[in-house]
Amino acid sequence: MKIYIVEDELTIRSELAKLLESYGYSCAYSDDFPNIVEHILKEAADLILLDINLPFYDGYHVCREIRKQSDTPIIIVTSRNNDMDELMSMNLGADDFITKPYNTQILLARIAAVLKRIDGKNAADTVSHNGLTLFLNKSVVRFQSMDAELTKNEFRILTHLIQNAGKIVSREDLIEELWQSDEFIDDNTLTVNINRLRHKLEEIGAEQYINTKRGQGYMI
Amino acid sequence: MKFEYYIKGKLAFLLSQTMVLFCFSFLLALLDVQTYAIMLFSFLILFITVIVIIVEYTNHNKYYKEVYDALYRMDKKHFIAHVIDEPDFGDGRVLYNVLHLATKSMNDEIARYQILDEEYKEYIETWIHEVKIPISCISLLCENNKNEFSQSIMTEINRIDSFVEQALFYARSTNLEKDYFIHTIQLDDFIRQAIKKHSKQLIHAHGEIKLDSLGVEIYSDSKWLDFILGQIISNSIKYRKDPFCLSFSAIEETNRVCLSICDNGIGIPSSDLSRIFDKGFTGENGRKFAKSTGIGLYLCQKLCSKMHLGMEAFSVEGEGTTIQIIFPKDKSLLIEN
Repeated sequence: MKIYIVEDELTIRSELAKLLESYGYSCAYSDDFPNIVEHILKEAADLILLDINLPFYDGYHVCREIRKQSDTPIIIVTSRNNDMDELMSMNLGADDFITKPYNTQILLARIAAVLKRIDGKNAADTVSHNGLTLFLNKSVVRFQSMDAELTKNEFRILTHLIQNAGKIVSREDLIEELWQSDEFIDDNTLTVNINRLRHKLEEIGAEQYINTKRGQGYMI
Repeated sequence: MKFEYYIKGKLAFLLSQTMVLFCFSFLLALLDVQTYAIMLFSFLILFITVIVIIVEYTNHNKYYKEVYDALYRMDKKHFIAHVIDEPDFGDGRVLYNVLHLATKSMNDEIARYQILDEEYKEYIETWIHEVKIPISCISLLCENNKNEFSQSIMTEINRIDSFVEQALFYARSTNLEKDYFIHTIQLDDFIRQAIKKHSKQLIHAHGEIKLDSLGVEIYSDSKWLDFILGQIISNSIKYRKDPFCLSFSAIEETNRVCLSICDNGIGIPSSDLSRIFDKGFTGENGRKFAKSTGIGLYLCQKLCSKMHLGMEAFSVEGEGTTIQIIFPKDKSLLIEN
């Protein structure tokens, strides 16, 4: 899945690209703002993140120009927080509107939601790590041809751990990840979910798959 | 115009009339005119004077009464000179002109301050949007380089962001014009979004969230309500007591929806409770925790009353606080747009 980032603030752009790439998206961008519309169309990305305040043409103009030729989903990302901007963006055919500074979990959730709404696609169908394959649209996990079905929470925990493989993921991060799906679980529920997940993984032969880092979190 | 005032103003005229009366009577007496003729003459002068006084008083009184009536009816009294007619008597004309010039100068002055205020507000809005860019940069940098150090920076940057947000809404709340847009909101979804927005702080505080019967529709401006909920949530976090629990519930009545946000925190002393919505009031808790600015709840109350929502606080010290927001079920609020 390719995401085109239209943003003139260099730090934001590169950090955003880094973040999205770590979640399995590929990113493209350009500094040629006078011809930005052609660049966007040429890249044929799956989704466009569009800032409003741009040099040469503002985001509204860019949005309108893209809509003349393409139905690619557009999420407007701006620091201006008023109803006029939001209304205008929606009228020009944008698919969503997020204000800066964004909670990255919310941004990722919105991107996933828009992509899903547009054509039912996800960033990838499967993610794999260390012999374990996770089927994203079935919430099934496979280890050496053994399958296990996961609940929504277990699935989200495992996805998040795999996406951050090799890094310690704190309990707070995991809870936050689960909160994005309207499940406002607490600490104890997370422990229960992690234990159930471990149990299921052991059943399919993936023993000691999730390591506990005492006082810090979990890691795979 | 009181008759008394009028007579006082006519003192010189009355005095001269009396003098005339006495002088002539004296003169006529010297000329051996008969007493009854002098009496008649005096009576005539007196009669004419009284008639003149009454006619003139009625005329003036009618004019000033109109001026007062217009003044009381007016909302913006500094436009008085534009709605009254010019009088047909001398003193009145002078005053009318003075009033005209004075109110014109005052209205010019008001307009000048309005423009200044508007420009300042625009500057604040622009500044806030500018400062949000580095804030986004820092939070993205922290997100991409997660460690203990960046998490601490993240916490601080979130605090900065909430202060910036507060400043934005403060600027908006003092605006004379109406810049909100009331529409139908699904309370359930809305509260979930607000919780997600503050998930970091809530999770960090090990908060337990309870949602109960929120499946109702309300009328409000989403940005303003979001800000209000944010302030209430962050207050609950600030003044929490472990184990921290925050619950949201709504009760639908015939003509209103009542949203209660309850926490189990340290509560508010009853002596402070009536003043928590006052600007700059920090109270006992504010002093103890030294984090309070006395702006948050004041702003919430102000924004609520602009949108015709009710806001009340109940608390038992040591047990918790409940903030209630009352949404009238009145579709005419929508028409106001």
